[in-house]
Amino acid sequence: MNLQGALKQYFGYDTFRSGQEEIIGNILKGKDVVAILPTGMGKSLCYQLPGYLFQKPVLIVSPLLSLMQDQVDQLKQRGEKRVVALNSFLTMEQKKYALHFLQEYRFIFVSPEMLLQPQVKARIQEMELSLIVADEAHCISQWGFDFRPDYLRIGEVLPESNRPPILALSATATDSVLRDIKSYLNMDEPFQYMHTVNRENIHLVKKAFMNREEKIEWIIEHVKNTAGPGIIYTQSRAKAEAISLQLIQQNVAAAAYHAGKETQDRQFIQQQFLAGKLEWIVATNAFGMGIHKENVRQVIHETMPATLSNYMQEIGRAGRDGNSAVAFLLYCDGDEQFAKFIATEDLPKEVHIDRFMQTVAAGEHPESLYTKGELSEVVFRVLSYWLARESAEKVKSRMLDLQLKKFEEVELVLNLISHQECMRRQVVRYFGQELLEQQENCCTNCGIELSNLVQKRDASKTTVKMTNWQQRLDKLLARNL
Amino acid sequence: MLIQQILLKILYTFQQERTVSAAFHLLKGKRSGQTIHDVGLYNLYPFFGLLPKLTRQKFDEQIDLLFAKNAILIEENGYYSITEYGKQLAAQSLPISFDSWHYRGNEHLFFSRVSLIVQSLSHQLHQKNTFIPIERNEQIQQWVRQFLLRHQYQKQLLQQALHSEISVSLSMLTIEEKIKDLIIYRLSGYNEPGFTWQQLAFGYEMHEMDVQLLYISGLHAWLNELSHKSAQYPLLHDIMQNIRVEVLLTSSANATAKLYKVGRTIEEISQIRRLKINTIEDHIVEMAMNETNFSIEPFITIEEQQQVLAAVEDYGTKRLKTLKEILPHLSYFQLRLTLAKGAITT
Ligand SMILES: [Zn+2]
Repeated sequence: MNLQGALKQYFGYDTFRSGQEEIIGNILKGKDVVAILPTGMGKSLCYQLPGYLFQKPVLIVSPLLSLMQDQVDQLKQRGEKRVVALNSFLTMEQKKYALHFLQEYRFIFVSPEMLLQPQVKARIQEMELSLIVADEAHCISQWGFDFRPDYLRIGEVLPESNRPPILALSATATDSVLRDIKSYLNMDEPFQYMHTVNRENIHLVKKAFMNREEKIEWIIEHVKNTAGPGIIYTQSRAKAEAISLQLIQQNVAAAAYHAGKETQDRQFIQQQFLAGKLEWIVATNAFGMGIHKENVRQVIHETMPATLSNYMQEIGRAGRDGNSAVAFLLYCDGDEQFAKFIATEDLPKEVHIDRFMQTVAAGEHPESLYTKGELSEVVFRVLSYWLARESAEKVKSRMLDLQLKKFEEVELVLNLISHQECMRRQVVRYFGQELLEQQENCCTNCGIELSNLVQKRDASKTTVKMTNWQQRLDKLLARNL
Repeated sequence: MLIQQILLKILYTFQQERTVSAAFHLLKGKRSGQTIHDVGLYNLYPFFGLLPKLTRQKFDEQIDLLFAKNAILIEENGYYSITEYGKQLAAQSLPISFDSWHYRGNEHLFFSRVSLIVQSLSHQLHQKNTFIPIERNEQIQQWVRQFLLRHQYQKQLLQQALHSEISVSLSMLTIEEKIKDLIIYRLSGYNEPGFTWQQLAFGYEMHEMDVQLLYISGLHAWLNELSHKSAQYPLLHDIMQNIRVEVLLTSSANATAKLYKVGRTIEEISQIRRLKINTIEDHIVEMAMNETNFSIEPFITIEEQQQVLAAVEDYGTKRLKTLKEILPHLSYFQLRLTLAKGAITT
């Protein structure tokens, strides 16, 4: 089979991006594949092209609903009609319809929760699939351990023999995460493709401040004077709102972006950003974005992310066009404490485990703890999973381990600030890779000259002006304008 | 803030005879006998279902703010009283008006349809056949698809027709121009994304919630214009299919009304429908509230009605408990009927 021809026929591209051809080739040979590709490097093509070459449906398990929706939108936008998303947004009616005609679809997206529902599970198991894709596979480990037990259980649904190949996709994965992925998915000597995590065109800067206020002052000054487009990551919705408001007051076209925003507003922000009408987005770093903007020039972390994975994923939204971009990591005393708090906030604590066991011992259903609001949904799900398999003592020590692990992750991010070793080298090592050459203008620790990397802002052409409704209506619906 | 002014108006209208929760249920548009009853009794039609998505938390924040401003005092049992200062504020007239009784949140569905239609037509104008729909709800997408087909969008004449209907109908409205701006700025099209509430609020130097209230009042005014002159706006009138709430009774009250109209007594209806007498009485009150021509004389004589109205005036209250004390020979049902009827005719 001529892959190149198929690529041209179905997608209109002349050449593959790095890794794609080997990955697809191995899938077509029936081999399991683990592919670590950074976001924006054509991950989805790795299962979409096989979807057109195979005559049976491709099943894509995707734990993050917003990203799932994103993929579905993109496929539909390309004119693909045989695509369905099975998730909790479906009504009973829609779900019944989709399940009935499941074999007819080319691409079936499903959330782990949905996949484990008996009805769905049974339907999938009786079907003939051509390929099973575990998207965001790092969630099996990184989150799957604690936050996504359902994803961890997808191995239960997969047939043991005579199954189609599995493709595990992720943007970031460390060695231990890779081991988890392979073992939880029962993968059979998979072909492994790892794209280099180093992004040479993103220059890494760190800046330490005396206190929070100074940081904000610096951000405002910096953003006022240098060119975007850019993204500022912060830890809370309130902060995102406050910073964006300050920027707007300085005539910077900025917008806050977080899970508390109406869906419609989030779409407006994405579209404005894409259309170049917004210079800066101020987002909470807990919130995944489906923004595919090529020319993001700056990313600022107002405070440190909880892991180097997050750090890489977030700064990775810059410089997709290959041109230079700068990532600023801001720090002041106590930030690591805050990051630790955020990282372990959702983790089940000892008291939770005790309460859970008491409730079970009293012959009540532990779900009542969740419905009464004593436990968060996450904690309830995690504990239900582990306490069904292990003793309370064991789960306690497991959670304690997890907490320590998360603290260690935060320490590694702190090292970027406190150590003098090249920042890039530290990050790349975290992903089990090695930095081959020293590059110019690498990072603050190696020495960096920003003047050529950050452009001056042209304030004259940026702010969004409102006209009256008649003029805008003309723009929307009138010809010849 | 507008929201506080509205809240204060509602609380004031309740004459401290309800708990603050009653105001919450009213704004949410709770379809319970008590809330519907209150709507008629206190003539609060404009606010019923004004904010269907309002959370209790947001509501409580506003109540707390009113308290902090010393406009109201909260009592322990959930009742409240209004301070002199609060009464002054409540007496100020609202700069905008609503017609929630007839729309109850459906105005948002109407706007979603308009948004998606405009977005589609705008892209068609620029020869873009695919785009990410601004409206995710598949039922709305389906509805819009049908609309576009029904009106032969392929001919590419729909843009102009819709432009002219929107332009003419909005021009007819006597609302402030900035409210019209708001509405059109929430639309999006090719290379013209809509504006977020944060952006609009900053532009108008208002709170986000107030901007949203202006927008809702604008939609109500617009929808009323469209429904009054449906022949002039065939496209927009088609888009407002099933938006205006014409069946004003709850469905259960409707069933009772049917039986009542063929001559059944309350007792008979109660037996047929296997519902308590009380419930059937609630329905009768609801009918009295909604139907201008409904006669309550089968239940209470004109003389007795006059006694009730006189007591309301003399004692300055519509509180049922008080009225029952004054007129012990009348039942609660009779009192409520008279008050409900009074709310319509006066
Ligand atoms: Zn370096």
